[in-house]
Amino acid sequence: MAQVFVGSGSSGLVERMSIIEIRNLTKDFRVGFWKNRPVRALDDLCLDVPKGDVFGFLGPNGAGKTTTLKLLMNLLRATSGSAHILGEPVESVSMRRRIGYLPENPYFYDYLTPDELLTYVGRLFGIRQPALGKKVRSLLDRVGLAEARRLQLRKFSKGMVQRIGIAQAIINDPEVVFLDEPMSGLDPLGRREVREVIVSLKDQGVTVFFSSHILPDVEALCDRVAILRKGRLQAVGALEEILRMKIEAHEIILAHVKPEDANRLRSMCDALTTIGGRLHLRASSSRQVQLILAHALANDAELISANPVRPSLEDYFLHEVGSGRDGASRQ
Amino acid sequence: MKWGPGGMGHRGSDVPMRILAIARNTFRENIRDKILYNLILFALIMILSSIALGQLTLGLESKMIIDLGLTSVSVFGTLIAIFIGISLVYKEMEKRTVYALLAKPVHRWEFIVGKYLGLLFTLLVNLAIMTIGIALTLLYQGGTEPGTYVRLLPVVYLIYLSLALTTALALVFSTFSTPALSALFTLFLWIIGHFNADLLQFATLTRSATIGWVAKSLYYALPNFSNFTTLDGRNIIQGAAHALPMDAGVILWITAYGLLYCGGLVAVAILVFSRRDFK
Amino acid sequence: MSGLVAATSRYRLWFFAAALLLCAAAIKPAQDRVDAGLARSPSIDPDLLYFASPGAVKSLSLGYQSLVADLYWIRAVQYYGRREEAARRQVRYKNLAALLDITTTLDPEMMDVYRAGSSFLAEPEPIGAGQPEEALKLLDKGIAFYPDEWRLCFDKGFVYFLAFKDFNQAGRVWLEASRMKGAPPWMEGLAAMALSRGGAVETARALWERQYQNSASREVKENAKNHLLSMQVDEMLWTIEFLAGKYAEKHGRYPARLDELVRAGYLKAVPVDPSGVPFDYDPHSGKAGLSAGTKVRYLKVPYDYREAFRQKLASLFPR
Repeated sequence: MAQVFVGSGSSGLVERMSIIEIRNLTKDFRVGFWKNRPVRALDDLCLDVPKGDVFGFLGPNGAGKTTTLKLLMNLLRATSGSAHILGEPVESVSMRRRIGYLPENPYFYDYLTPDELLTYVGRLFGIRQPALGKKVRSLLDRVGLAEARRLQLRKFSKGMVQRIGIAQAIINDPEVVFLDEPMSGLDPLGRREVREVIVSLKDQGVTVFFSSHILPDVEALCDRVAILRKGRLQAVGALEEILRMKIEAHEIILAHVKPEDANRLRSMCDALTTIGGRLHLRASSSRQVQLILAHALANDAELISANPVRPSLEDYFLHEVGSGRDGASRQ
Repeated sequence: MKWGPGGMGHRGSDVPMRILAIARNTFRENIRDKILYNLILFALIMILSSIALGQLTLGLESKMIIDLGLTSVSVFGTLIAIFIGISLVYKEMEKRTVYALLAKPVHRWEFIVGKYLGLLFTLLVNLAIMTIGIALTLLYQGGTEPGTYVRLLPVVYLIYLSLALTTALALVFSTFSTPALSALFTLFLWIIGHFNADLLQFATLTRSATIGWVAKSLYYALPNFSNFTTLDGRNIIQGAAHALPMDAGVILWITAYGLLYCGGLVAVAILVFSRRDFK
Repeated sequence: MSGLVAATSRYRLWFFAAALLLCAAAIKPAQDRVDAGLARSPSIDPDLLYFASPGAVKSLSLGYQSLVADLYWIRAVQYYGRREEAARRQVRYKNLAALLDITTTLDPEMMDVYRAGSSFLAEPEPIGAGQPEEALKLLDKGIAFYPDEWRLCFDKGFVYFLAFKDFNQAGRVWLEASRMKGAPPWMEGLAAMALSRGGAVETARALWERQYQNSASREVKENAKNHLLSMQVDEMLWTIEFLAGKYAEKHGRYPARLDELVRAGYLKAVPVDPSGVPFDYDPHSGKAGLSAGTKVRYLKVPYDYREAFRQKLASLFPR
């Protein structure tokens, strides 16, 4: 099991209930003309998602994120292993009253209006009139589609479709919401809107499980992440803990540095770049930082900023995950 | 206001509500697909025929209106049943609307039944309007006895049963096959199903016992559309056109056959769909 | 808990599988009830001919005439095959001619339909439809399409021969057939036989002679010779009987022996059969017959021109 448990004690895994519980989940697809060659899309996945978390599910394309979500939604049948949501197995139909799902690249009946779609979905949840009508109206307000409520979905932009998708996912006030690539294909404005919804859901105590490969969004939202690569779990845990595994560094930006000083500074740091007349220095140890600062100040250079550089998830990704992809860059 | 998980009505009464919701949505889809525009073509046929007939024939206008009308009902209905039926499930899988749907507390069998009933309802509406159209044309033509109007109803009913069977066939194929293949197979079975009686003939006349047994088994296994097209030894449309009386008892058994066969097909569709992975 | 849910969903699948089996099993009894109710003893009744006009069927075949023709032929065969049901009808095979007419209009090239169909039609009841006029019509239709096909003329001749007992017509038709390409060598003989049976004796004799001279087949030559000799024998016997009768008129009794006829001047010599063996003669009845020792292979074909020959004789022997 290629899994890294990080901080099991301090993050209080034992204390909080696992709202999503995945055990040894494996999925093989049969390909080939006679459907006899198995391709393993998901290999022995074990995962726990605590209640109330915003949980990010990451990985490059083809890692098995969508497969996992489909298995959780019982759209696919597992080859082996099991998964439970809210203590119920994923095959349970009654459990689905308490969850919401937004599929990847969603498509809804384009001949319906948002009003009609949400009414339809509401009926599937057994919500009756007049409560249903009120619910639909408030939901459309919440996702900002109140003005377009009589417009047929075929006329919606991608951002609007995403919003109605979220609406249909939360119409039943679920306890857990599953979002598959909720921000894909959206412009920054759209992404921000989705982010806001996720945050508001979290404030309501809803557990959010979403997959993405847009890392800045994940960094901004998630309490914990799991990283998937080629069907296997690479790492799981709180974000800082995963990223803390990387070396910290500091970035110092100086201005008005004399040329001869620049060369000296270059030898003191790991990397030096000139951007727009300013020097960007990267120092990996605190000792280096001190030396640089002392030198700069002694030589009348202007300190613009000095900040610790936390490696981004992107760096981690490219480093850890991407290295497996082409053997040449393997370390 | 929060609707908690328990407070949404208990499950038993929700089943028909869900099926109805799916059926309603299917009906709405058909309407908005403008399928009912076929009625315009039908209306044109009825109008033209009633105008033209006066010029073409000597008497027998009523018979011809009924012949034309009922044949159109059957033909249009069958075309709708096949061409919408084959995409009932396929379209949802292909457009992936089925993903969001099945993530709701809906059973897969409820989905199948709902789609089926939705199309049946569309066909019912279509049929009803067409029948009224025939009656109006007859009225306009004049000279038709009330008995003839009444005589139309059991015939239309039998046509509806055959449409239900055709739809069920298309439904089964739509759960696993592409529209092109499904249309082919459904049409093929529909055609074969009209020659079922010849198959039985062959079974009784053939000298080989094995072939006879095979033929007889096929007779029972294949959908027997001739059950719905012949009554009192004559074609039902012909019977209606000549306003001949009908035997009510056998219609009950024909209905039973229709229900059993459709039920069996729907069960097949459910089984296939339940085992499906949505990649 | 999960076991229960998994079991429930599996239970549901088994439920539907069971429902399917139930429906499948109930289909047969339901169908049988339907068949009983529709009074179908497994068939649809093609006494229903919704489209009676062959032309209409042709237009409606939408270009698939050949297939539709096949279907009509199958219907016709089955219609003909259901004897018991036919027996129940007032007119046994009312629609057979129409079905065959439609079939051959849709596809005029179906040789077998003309042949078998006409035989169904011509056969007398209860075996066939007993409608020889329809059979002739069908064959004429076929002959119009296949003017050089001897087989159709052959069949036509048989309709005349068997159903109408019109031997002359039969012979004439067979004669035509014998002249067509591919006609078998015995066709002429058949024609001759029919014609002679119809009284056209000289034509028959001429045909036998031609066959005897022209045929390459030994059997056919032999057969022709035998026919000629048989005709000769018959004529000789009738002559003897005629003359014996005349003798009896004159002398009050039949001649005791054939040479008495010679001495009385009726005959030039004592007649012997073509193989040289004397005939047997019964003086009490005045009748003659072939001797047992004859080498003539007499073909007992019921030629019935005895009367005509007698009259010819009577005109030759006025006294």
